[in-house]
Amino acid sequence: MSPELLFQQALNGLSFGALLFILAAGLSLVFGMMDVVNLAHGAFYMLGAYVALTVVQFTGSFWLALAAAPVALGALGLAIEPLLLRHLRGRHLDQVLLTIGVSLVIVDLIGLIWGREVRSLPFPPGLDGTVVLIGGVYPVYRLFVIAFGVALAAVIAVIYRRTKLGMLIRAGVEDAEMLGALGVNTDRLFALTFAVGAALAGLAGVIAAPVFGLQPGMDVDALLYSLVVVVVGGLGTLGGAVAGSVLVGPVDTFGKVLFQEFALAVIFAIVALVLLFKPTGLLGRIRIAR
Amino acid sequence: MGGFTKMNGLAAKRGYTYRLTRRQFLVASSAAALAACAPAAVTPGASGSPSAAPGKELKIGQLLPFTGVYAELGNSMRRATELYLRQNDQKLANRPVKLIYEDDTNVTATGIQKAQKFIDQDKVDVMMGVVPTPLAYGIRNAVHEAKMIFIDTNAGGNALTRDTPDCKPACKSPYIFRSSFSSYQISFPIGDYLSAKGTKDWFLAYANYGFGTESKADFTTGLKKNGGNVTGEVAPPLGNADFAPFVTQIKNQPTKNVYSFFSGADAIGFIKTWNQLGLPAAGYKMYGAGFLTEQDVLKEVKDLANGAITSLFWAVELDNAENKKFVADFQKQYPLLPDVFAVQQYDGMRALDEALKKLGGDTSDKDKFSKALEDVTFKSPRGDFAFDKTTHNPIQDIYLREVKTTGGQTVNTILDKIAKVTDPGK
Repeated sequence: MSPELLFQQALNGLSFGALLFILAAGLSLVFGMMDVVNLAHGAFYMLGAYVALTVVQFTGSFWLALAAAPVALGALGLAIEPLLLRHLRGRHLDQVLLTIGVSLVIVDLIGLIWGREVRSLPFPPGLDGTVVLIGGVYPVYRLFVIAFGVALAAVIAVIYRRTKLGMLIRAGVEDAEMLGALGVNTDRLFALTFAVGAALAGLAGVIAAPVFGLQPGMDVDALLYSLVVVVVGGLGTLGGAVAGSVLVGPVDTFGKVLFQEFALAVIFAIVALVLLFKPTGLLGRIRIAR
Repeated sequence: MGGFTKMNGLAAKRGYTYRLTRRQFLVASSAAALAACAPAAVTPGASGSPSAAPGKELKIGQLLPFTGVYAELGNSMRRATELYLRQNDQKLANRPVKLIYEDDTNVTATGIQKAQKFIDQDKVDVMMGVVPTPLAYGIRNAVHEAKMIFIDTNAGGNALTRDTPDCKPACKSPYIFRSSFSSYQISFPIGDYLSAKGTKDWFLAYANYGFGTESKADFTTGLKKNGGNVTGEVAPPLGNADFAPFVTQIKNQPTKNVYSFFSGADAIGFIKTWNQLGLPAAGYKMYGAGFLTEQDVLKEVKDLANGAITSLFWAVELDNAENKKFVADFQKQYPLLPDVFAVQQYDGMRALDEALKKLGGDTSDKDKFSKALEDVTFKSPRGDFAFDKTTHNPIQDIYLREVKTTGGQTVNTILDKIAKVTDPGK
């Protein structure tokens, strides 16, 4: 592999990793707070992409779609938590089952509303060109994805560490029951967390749509990758989501071109290796059984 | 079982076929009612004929995907089936048709169960459909042993219409016909053609699954016939999301002519990434099996595909009377252009219709039925259609097409034709 090729593939891997971070951050947040592995996360991602498709069709603006899809998904999350999940609080496995049901309903509704053809979102004007980097031209949009991922990680980190909301979330992750006893409205906090998780999935859907397209089955792929990222990185922590995506993105990219025969096995090999040596994931905390 | 039927009914109603399905149901049921009255009045002397007699309802089992990644292929083939019946008063020969759809859900095991249901429970007269090759291979033995006439309207695996050692992974059967294509037909002639024209060095990109690897092997054989040569390859997994790693590999090697085997979402991802990484400007030229630039892809990528040269046995723009009528009728019925999958299914229905006409609608003797199908010839939207009597695979022309955008429309324009391509199966 020449240095130029190495550099270009590293950028490909990093931009894929950045996208994985946007996708996995929401899943990780919801798990950390609510102890629920939200298996509807992939369906939220898919719905975000389709909402963006409609917004772009009607307004022609990618940026409006980038704002509208997370808002729509956030609203959906805000409705689903109190209407469905809350009734099963404490019954984690039942909640997980419920999220599978939610994902089936969402995916079928998408098929009904948008059809089952393969669709694609154009690159936003201004980001559809290329820039000259070491070894040749590189697409601006992929650099934008990297920048967006880094910025989002920074924003989440600031909220997490420096704001009252962040403090509540951190406290909720430690012990939600105690937080409730201290007079915090945990119902509202849980609903908000779930909504933010869904909004992040929707955001990832919009960012990914111009590159990966929209088609039936995209929800499963997204869910699989985001689960891999959070398992590798460590469930329920922001640092874990960052570490997981920075590792999985490039390894997946290089694995696919270097070991084409085992393209699909490479990421699962990472999962196996990481779990073997560090069962809690790279930056996972040891959870106290409750 | 009631649950299954209900689910299937729901699946059938999905997408924008819903409205049409209901309307067609009314038409179909009134036509069936008429048909039920008419023959009774006109041909009272029909008593004593066998159970699969003229005038009796003809049951066709359609095994198609209506959910999962291939759902749109299933929808398209369903549209073509219903268009053909509408054009022919809901009858094939003299028999009113009852269609039974089953959704394979893109799971091979489910598809095999549904095929068995067609044979044992519904006791259909004919089976059609099947999108993925593994499913076609999976139902081969059951169909063969039941002497069920099965017209494969998509799956292109070579083995289904060939004589293979120990019948692995499948082999031809007197009762199996194919109205689509074999991998060989899509790939070998074009490899032969391109290398004969003088372009010897090729880089390959193909989806790493059955059809992709089989096509790649046939294309390479075609190339080597005239001293052509494969300089390298990339093989993304089927349904690969990110094409940048693979296109980056292509861009960092010197062979400018790239032949590819992708369809649907993979094709869109490949073409968009190809442009994003600046391969046209760097002098790379895209070639591929026709599915790379079919309607489903072109309507999303538009002029990004310009200049791509692909080969297939049909194109919307094909200039013949049957195709013009087919495209016009299809568009009158549905708010979209037909695709190649619709043509395959439409020709399957036509072949069945022609065979039944010769038999006077009598499907009771399966060997006679098979013989009648073997002799079918007609003018299809793709050109002259005939089954190869040895393999039951169609003998067809392969067209070389180039993607061009004129007046805001991106289409495949016909460049050349390779006449009467036959699968070499024995």
